[in-house]
Amino acid sequence: MVDRILYVITVPMVYLAVVWLVLGVIARIVMVLRAPAHPHTLKIFPERKAAPLVALWESFTMPTVRKSKPRFWVFLMLFHAAFGALILSHLDLLPQISIMPKDSPHMLGWGAVGVAVTISVTYFLLRRFASPVREVSVPADYLLLFLLLLTVLTGDTISWGNSWSEDGFVITKQDFGTYLDGLLHFTFEDPADTLYGSHYVVVAIHIFLANLFMMVLPFSKIMHAFFTVALNRFRRV
Amino acid sequence: MDDKKKQELLDAFSEKLTNAVRLYMDGCTRCGTCIDSCHAYQSMPETRYTPVGRAQVVRRLFDRYFKLSGRIAPGMNEAVEFTDEWMQQVLDAAYSCTGCRRCMTVCPFGIDTQQIQGIAKHLVNTAGMTPVVLNMLADMSIAKAETIEDTRENFEQGVKNLEAEVIEKWKSEAGEDAIPIGAQDANVLYVALAGKHSIIPAAAVMNAAKEKWSLSYFEAVNFGAFAGNPAKTKVIARRIIDEATRLNVKEVAICECGTAYRVMKYMTGDHPFKVVSVVELFARYVKEGRIKLDKSKIEGGVTYHDPCQMARNGGIYDEPRYLLEQLTDNFVEMTPTREDNWCCGGGGGLVAMGEKDFRMKSSSVKVDQVKATGAKVLCTACENCHTQLSDLNEHYDVGVKVEFLSELLADALVSE
Repeated sequence: MVDRILYVITVPMVYLAVVWLVLGVIARIVMVLRAPAHPHTLKIFPERKAAPLVALWESFTMPTVRKSKPRFWVFLMLFHAAFGALILSHLDLLPQISIMPKDSPHMLGWGAVGVAVTISVTYFLLRRFASPVREVSVPADYLLLFLLLLTVLTGDTISWGNSWSEDGFVITKQDFGTYLDGLLHFTFEDPADTLYGSHYVVVAIHIFLANLFMMVLPFSKIMHAFFTVALNRFRRV
Repeated sequence: MDDKKKQELLDAFSEKLTNAVRLYMDGCTRCGTCIDSCHAYQSMPETRYTPVGRAQVVRRLFDRYFKLSGRIAPGMNEAVEFTDEWMQQVLDAAYSCTGCRRCMTVCPFGIDTQQIQGIAKHLVNTAGMTPVVLNMLADMSIAKAETIEDTRENFEQGVKNLEAEVIEKWKSEAGEDAIPIGAQDANVLYVALAGKHSIIPAAAVMNAAKEKWSLSYFEAVNFGAFAGNPAKTKVIARRIIDEATRLNVKEVAICECGTAYRVMKYMTGDHPFKVVSVVELFARYVKEGRIKLDKSKIEGGVTYHDPCQMARNGGIYDEPRYLLEQLTDNFVEMTPTREDNWCCGGGGGLVAMGEKDFRMKSSSVKVDQVKATGAKVLCTACENCHTQLSDLNEHYDVGVKVEFLSELLADALVSE
């Protein structure tokens, strides 16, 4: 029974989560695109030269936060940079992609990117419990951060705990690559055959949490990731 | 609240959901960066006076009616339904925000709280809860356009009575027609407020510059915008647009009124004439050598309050400073200044509504900012700001003289 549940989590649910994510994000973007254009400019002054580029710059570097909340900005930048690296490091597991040398036992960042995300998410979560941010937060804000924290913590466990054995990594990077390649090619093979060992349950929990994260994303404020450039553009153009 | 009322409110909400507003509704992460950017929160640190706190009052309705998650799990985002009690909160949010958009400058996404509170005002209006005075003033503006022929004679006589005072300020050039009205093909149509303080100094300066100008029959201020009523906003603006088009003027110069300037310049589409603030016009006169100013008229330091709708939301930063540099060697900038300047706390219709207790309590940060300059003269270029700053000056015994920029200019005019 447990094996069956783990299989559902690691294979069919991944497909469901990805399809759900893609369709959900598209639906949300379509809703914005179908809405009537705002009848007048929303820009603030002074006007900036190359305003679209300024909007891009502001989207990715958040200078307004750096100016008003420098400590928060440090954690924001750490989080976003590390999260981007985390996505790359997972893609790098695929045999078709080579960011790290294929014979390296380590993921991109040697496990540090996961720790960086963990630290920043922990900061965001603690910040939510402190006034005045606590007063403007809603349950979804906490649950989303908690979900993200659990996901990265299990990821950290796989990165670090999985390697703390006499023989090095119990489940190797190549094993994860085989699993992801199987998903990519719709082989529907049970990953338990590849990702064997005591850490497999942690891997399954990590995948379950990541699936939940993907399924929640289109309904959550993480949609800001898709909207931020457009939003900043309204301020500048 | 009955279902019919709820449906009306829902329809009103839908009307405001443009692409930008949808993004403002969906994009906020409640990160709290904006919290202390609001003058009201700085002065009265309560969540309901934070930009995000106010926005949440509207966003929680959005989550309930326009998002699947709000229907499936309303508790997650604290989604709420329309109720009489909640509409009271919407009213409080709408009219505790001055629409200064200072929060927009710190938000990592640039979320425009003024637009969100525009929804709140529209909902309040739909619910028949708009402060009576704002609707009354908006209706009076519209009625004036509809009955212009009946009131034209009285208006012209009233203006005639002011001409002597214009001539007193600018004796050498102003002739009998010191305040021209209905002049065809004028260079400038000056749109003033209903008060001689808005007409006399400007007339003196324009006459000194030998400008071919005409006074508009209509007052510049747009109470439709304050009341959050898009239909009335358009009608009120349309009166001036039609007049300017009919008179075939080259420019429409909006008096010292931030909202009037922003509405006409940026919110009413393209026009066959140019829209400028009277501050821009006067700065041009000085640069072109059309008027000369006496620097010895003002005693003590002078500071300038950037009206939010003219500066942060209208782009007029340099012209007032240029003019003040011609008027004094003792100009002192406020800290923070320009786009970071604190709102005076009088915008968004609050001055028109009265609300003196709230206006005074919510603007103590402005008082501290003015006091820190050590200036004796506090100059501004907006009617709302002038009223609010004068009230603050009196209430907190700041000890400054609050002046319109146009008055300082008119008093400093030099005959050649």
